[in-house]
Amino acid sequence: MNNILIIAKNTFKEAIRDKILYGILAFALIFIFATIFLGSLSLGEDLKVIKDLGLAGIYLFSIIITIFISAQAIYKEIEKKTIYIVLAKPVKTFEFIIGKFLGLLTGIVLTILIMQIVYLVVVLGKGGGFDSYSLISLLLQIFEIGIFVSLAVLFSTFSTPFASMLYSIILLYIGHSLSILLKYAEKAGSIAKYAVYPFYYLLPNLEKFNVRNTVVNDKLPGGGEVTFSIIYGIFYIIVILYLANLSLKKQEL
Amino acid sequence: MINISKVTKKYGKTIIVDNLSLKINDGTVFGFLGPNGAGKTTTIKMLVGLNKPDTGEIKINKYVASSIQSKQTSGYMPEDPYFYDHLTGYEFLEFCLSLSSDYRSKPQVENSDSSRISSNGIITKMLETVGLSEAKNKMINTYSKGMKQRLGLAQAIIHKPKYIFLDEPLDGLDPIGRNDFKNILRGMKKQGSTIFLNSHILSDVEELCDEIGILNHGKLLYTGKVSEFCKRGELEKRFVELINNKQEGIAN
Repeated sequence: MNNILIIAKNTFKEAIRDKILYGILAFALIFIFATIFLGSLSLGEDLKVIKDLGLAGIYLFSIIITIFISAQAIYKEIEKKTIYIVLAKPVKTFEFIIGKFLGLLTGIVLTILIMQIVYLVVVLGKGGGFDSYSLISLLLQIFEIGIFVSLAVLFSTFSTPFASMLYSIILLYIGHSLSILLKYAEKAGSIAKYAVYPFYYLLPNLEKFNVRNTVVNDKLPGGGEVTFSIIYGIFYIIVILYLANLSLKKQEL
Repeated sequence: MINISKVTKKYGKTIIVDNLSLKINDGTVFGFLGPNGAGKTTTIKMLVGLNKPDTGEIKINKYVASSIQSKQTSGYMPEDPYFYDHLTGYEFLEFCLSLSSDYRSKPQVENSDSSRISSNGIITKMLETVGLSEAKNKMINTYSKGMKQRLGLAQAIIHKPKYIFLDEPLDGLDPIGRNDFKNILRGMKKQGSTIFLNSHILSDVEELCDEIGILNHGKLLYTGKVSEFCKRGELEKRFVELINNKQEGIAN
């Protein structure tokens, strides 16, 4: 456990000192502030527009930060040979993988929290009070980001940063489309349905973590739904990190 | 003791290390020599547990090289080491020292006068030893090549390992740097460490090493005392003769 925390702390330091992260975060904060002006263009629904765009903006920029930082996580270590120094020490491969995952996730969560604070201030400033429901959306988003970070860590054990980014973007799209795909497949017939089932259960169903529409309409998602999504997220992350460990062990360093 | 027993390693169909057997007694400074592509770096990576042999076995003091117990007593400096750009020299050594579980089990080590020193003291002392005190709070991405070599050595020996594996440690160093490194290695040897090093700078190997092994195309051509090997000439001259004779033999 010690080694995991040591590697996580090191990875976190490296992540938050990357200047490109601050560039993306700056754009994100500008966007969240800009929702004030976009909200004013609506007809009396400015608060709803601010919430909608604000939460969507937080999501979009957190995905960009995640893909950008995580896609090169392990690849950079192998290319730059820093992994030689770490794995030559009494560190197990799984400690390295989990440490990298936790360090990256912590860094990304920090940026999400900064965006969230700015969002809450904007909503408060526009008379919307403290948007506590958005914190549920934030919680589920963190688990979705966790799945992404674990996938990026897995991909970066065997592919280049560009390929990792590409796979991540494709999975982002598929992950949010799985429920719709299954619905259409069920309507199309049993062959289509059974063809889609393996993908539906194997690939990450990211819509489970999307409660933004619910919270924007001042409704609370069900406790059972939220709990199931969190358990699903944890289980998926564990499986992906296990595969990342196997993949890294197979690498000829 | 370092015991390499009938080790073969292939990458794809290419044999990189071919049935290598070698025994190195504790307290020895062992120079592992060979032309480029001979298999030296591959061997050293197997010794520190980064890769596993396809056949054969490597043991460091009774433990398999890839085991945690073996890694606890080893220190490794890779060839042309790279580091984390956004850490300072001090932070990097702190990171490396923390990962040494042997150090963690006794967080304050004995100083030469039996007083105990903390991790901060250990890191500060090591930075002084390798000549990086003034750069300790600077980002590693501002370091020169020589400074990175010094940091590479520092992270390999900071936890006072019993077995030290160095891949081209003197590469890129100026004469003052090489002299400093050699003094550090002599100091480690006096403290009882076993040092296994790859180097192309044969004059330094001749000066530092007790024994050498010479590898070519993955095969061990010679192992033994430097003084024995150099009876009929300087190390570099004898090394070139040996490699050329073997290659002529193969060609014929």
